Formats: sequence, structure tokens, C-alpha cells
Amino acid sequence: MHHKILFSGPVGAGKTTAIAAISDVTPVVTEARARDRTRLMKPHTTVAMDYGVMELEGGDKVHLYGTPGQPRFDFMWEILAEGGLGIILLIDNSAADAMYRLRHFLDAFDEVIRRTSLVVGITKMDLAPTPTLADYSERLEQAGIRAPVLEVDARSADDVALLIEALLYTIDPGLDAGDPRAETAQ
Amino acid sequence: MRAEQLNAILRKLSATSGEVEAAAIISTDGLVMASYVPEGIDDDRLGAMSAAMLSLGERAALELGRGELEQVLVKGKKGFIILVHAGPDAVLTVLTSQTARLGLIFLDVKRTAAEVARLI
Repeated sequence: MHHKILFSGPVGAGKTTAIAAISDVTPVVTEARARDRTRLMKPHTTVAMDYGVMELEGGDKVHLYGTPGQPRFDFMWEILAEGGLGIILLIDNSAADAMYRLRHFLDAFDEVIRRTSLVVGITKMDLAPTPTLADYSERLEQAGIRAPVLEVDARSADDVALLIEALLYTIDPGLDAGDPRAETAQ
Repeated sequence: MRAEQLNAILRKLSATSGEVEAAAIISTDGLVMASYVPEGIDDDRLGAMSAAMLSLGERAALELGRGELEQVLVKGKKGFIILVHAGPDAVLTVLTSQTARLGLIFLDVKRTAAEVARLI
């Protein structure tokens, strides 16, 4: 079985990092030197997509696609969302407008979220403790969305695995996902 | 100043061939530096799409053993889209009519890209 999961969220949330952390193969990355405001944050930015693969216990493959973060690349959001099982939104908690950014992505992916499943990963909480996970859950509730919200470090394979596991369980509560990293841990 | 020079280069490209309907110079992260586009085409969309396509083309060419990318060519029923690097940090995107004589256009595009690369 092949599954497809989408990683999205604003610039600097850790999408490329998360896919690199968990992928069993060297990921496909499409980074270009940043010239917009992104350059104040990091030297490079994704302009088309990231792609990685993770093998589940039992041989199922999860294909991981990451989107660019800037709204000018929103056509890639649509393209990459096609056929996905669900979406993992990463939000950088240290951004001043983190909550607004969440809402922007909830709106942009509204149709996908209602048709499939959503998990929200909050990154860089070590740099900024607020908003809290409860704040995010409340915002999701206001939008009529039920989705797990987890604090994660995008550099940590364990944390990213947890996000994927949460998404798979949201999709199918009876699923025996095993340890998603069984393959990489060997 | 530089934007003016870039615009002049694009005007020259479109003047040498009536088949060139639009052209733009874009940073590899998708921001338009100069453009010559007819109404109905959004500059920002053109910029972002150019950066995405060039970047994917580059990766595909390398990973599938085709070597360093020289050009991305898209053929639609109404014409062509040609994308090339203009130096390491910029993209030259050219839209042509469907009757375009590609050989000649490729030459013009290559020359133009070299000119742009010298400038930026």
C-alpha cells in the first residue's frame, strides 16, 4: 500500500527539515536562495516541493510531500494536496503572527482538511512558549475542526514520526501503525 | 537602474521576434525582477511558477541522469513556455505563440540569458 501525506505551513516552520529528519531516502529538495523577507530568517527556501519516503512496519510506504511556505506558491499547495491521505500543518510558534498563519492555512486547505485529516505540529515552542497548544486547539474548534495539536521539534525523527502516527490514527482509529520508524531504527 | 537595463533587454528580445509574447526575469525564489507581459498574465504567478518549474526541472535532470539543466520547455496548444537559468540566481521565462520557430527562439533566449547573467 502507498499512502501520501502532505506537510504544509508557513515559511520557516520546519517542513523541509521534518521530511529530511524522517525520510528513509535522501529527500528531493527544491531550495533556492531567498531574496524576499525569508532571507532574514534563513538563507534558502523551498520553491516547488520536498519529497521523502517512509516505510511502515509491514511494508506500506508513506510518501511525504512538503509544500513551499510563501502564498505566492499556493498553486503548488493545490497540486501537491491531490490524492493525499491527510495534511500535517507545521506552525512556527516564534512567529509574531503564528495564530493568524494557522488560520490562513486552515482557510487555504479548507476543502482538503474537510475531505481528509489534519494534524497540527507546533515548532519552536522552546523559543516562544505562547501561544499554547490549548490556544491552537481552541482556534481549531472555532473553525469547526477536530485535530490533534502536538509540540514538535522538526529536527527530531521521533517527533515527526509522532505527527505521522497521529495522522494515521486520525484517519483510521483501528489502524495498527506499529512504530512508523521500525524500518529506520534498524 | 538595473531594472531599467533588464527591461531594455526584454524589450529587445521581444522586438527580435514577433513570436515572443511575454518574457520575464525572475529570482530563483520566484520574485519578478523585470517583466514584459501582456494583460491577463499575473506577474507574481508567472514568477512563482517559473521558479518552481525551473527548480523541479533542475532536480529531475540531475537525478534522472540527464546532467545539468539547460532548459525547461512546456508545449501547450496555444504556444510554448521556455525557462532557462540567467546566471545562478535568476530565471529567464519566455512565452511564445504556437507558430514560434523554436530553433531561432532558443538562440535568442540563450543570448538574452547570457546578457542578463552578466548584469546581475
